[in-house]
Order: sequence, then C-alpha cells, then structure tokens
Amino acid sequence: MAKLDPVVRKETAYAATWVAALSLVMEAVFLILKRWSGAVLAGNLIGAGAAVGNYLLLGITVAKAAGGPPEKVAMKVRSSMTARMLGQAVICAAAVGILKTNVYATILPLLFPRIGIAFRPMIDRKRGKTAETDQTAEAEGSDLLD
Amino acid sequence: MVELAMGIMLGLCGVGAGIALIAGIGPGIGEGQAVAAACEAIGRQPEAKSDVTSTMIMGCAIAETTGLYGLIIGILLIFVAPGIFSGVLKETVLALK
Repeated sequence: MAKLDPVVRKETAYAATWVAALSLVMEAVFLILKRWSGAVLAGNLIGAGAAVGNYLLLGITVAKAAGGPPEKVAMKVRSSMTARMLGQAVICAAAVGILKTNVYATILPLLFPRIGIAFRPMIDRKRGKTAETDQTAEAEGSDLLD
Repeated sequence: MVELAMGIMLGLCGVGAGIALIAGIGPGIGEGQAVAAACEAIGRQPEAKSDVTSTMIMGCAIAETTGLYGLIIGILLIFVAPGIFSGVLKETVLALK
C-alpha cells in the first residue's frame, strides 16, 4: 500500500476528531431524549465511518491529482466525487434499509466534517495568536537574558 | 382510492429523491475546476504544494457539502417521508369516515 501524504493524514485526523466529538454529542442528545438504542449507535458508527472515509478518499484523490495536467485532474476529481457520493448513498441506504439503523443517526455524521471545517479559521487564528505570543515571549526572554 | 393515493405519494417521494440528487452534479464540476486551478498554482510555485493541497482539500469538502445536502434530502424522502405521509393519509381517511 502506498504511503499516505502527510497533509492528507493531518486533514483526515482533523476531520475524524471532529466527527468523533460531534458523534459523542449526538449520542448524548439521543440519550437525553430517551431515544437511544443499538440502532442509533450502529447508524452513528456507519455514518461516521462513511464521512471519514469520504474525506480520506477526497484527500487521496486531491493529493494524487496535484501536479498533473489540469484537464485530466478536473476529470479525475469529478469522477471521484461522483463515485464517492454514490458510495455514501449506497452505504447509508443499505444501513437504513437492510440493517435498520436509525436514519438520523446515520445521515447526520456525513455533515460533521463540514462543521469542523467551519470552525477551522477560528482554531487556526487562535493557534496563530498563540504561536505569535510564544515567539514574542521567547524574543522578550532572550532580550532579558542579553 | 387510499391505495392509489399511497402509490402516487410513494412515486412522488421517489421522484423528489431523484431530483434532490441532481444537486450532486454542480459541486463535482466546481470541484474539478478548483482542483485544476490549484494544480496550475502548484505548477507555478511547487514549494507551496502542501499549503495549496491543504486548502484544496478543505475547499473541496466545503463544495461537496451542497451535494451532501441533496443526498440527505434524498435519503429522508425515501426512508422517512413515506412513513410520515402515510400516517397523515390514514388519519385523514379515518377523520373523513
């Protein structure tokens, strides 16, 4: 198996973290509403797996396509998106139709990576500020030492 | 009569789900163009590859969300809506009787 691009690994880990965190929140909401059951858990696991898998495949496609001729790349990404979307539809339909998982618990995790991305600028800004503060503190520290 | 109404309702749910999935076409085209442009950018500045790839993955994921909305609506129309609509239909028929 080919080694994963570090950027893809980092992005997928970020999405997976958000999916896991929001899945826990969703399970908690189901528990609070007294609607929790094995079907909810199974649906959540399948939906979360589909969401993270979709994100990983997107990253792999994009990373592989980077650097190629633009026309071929556009075609490749378009076909990849269609295939991934169909895959997600089949997985969710099979989970809900055959395994009888909870519909909402199955399809909501598909949107969790998007929520993570929405919070990304905020987190990056905070990290940037922290890094800046650390750098300033280091510089001030070195000035004091001098 | 009720069976006919149920059949029409189920058929319309299926048609609605199909129409909702058309939403998947646009993001695919947009994503393709965005990645093609990003490839040109990488060609001009190969040292910025990791930054461009990271931004590209996020951009693609955002673009894909519109397609996902369509998918979710399609799944809801197939698996949830028929149950709700048939319940409403039965209640209406019982009320009329």
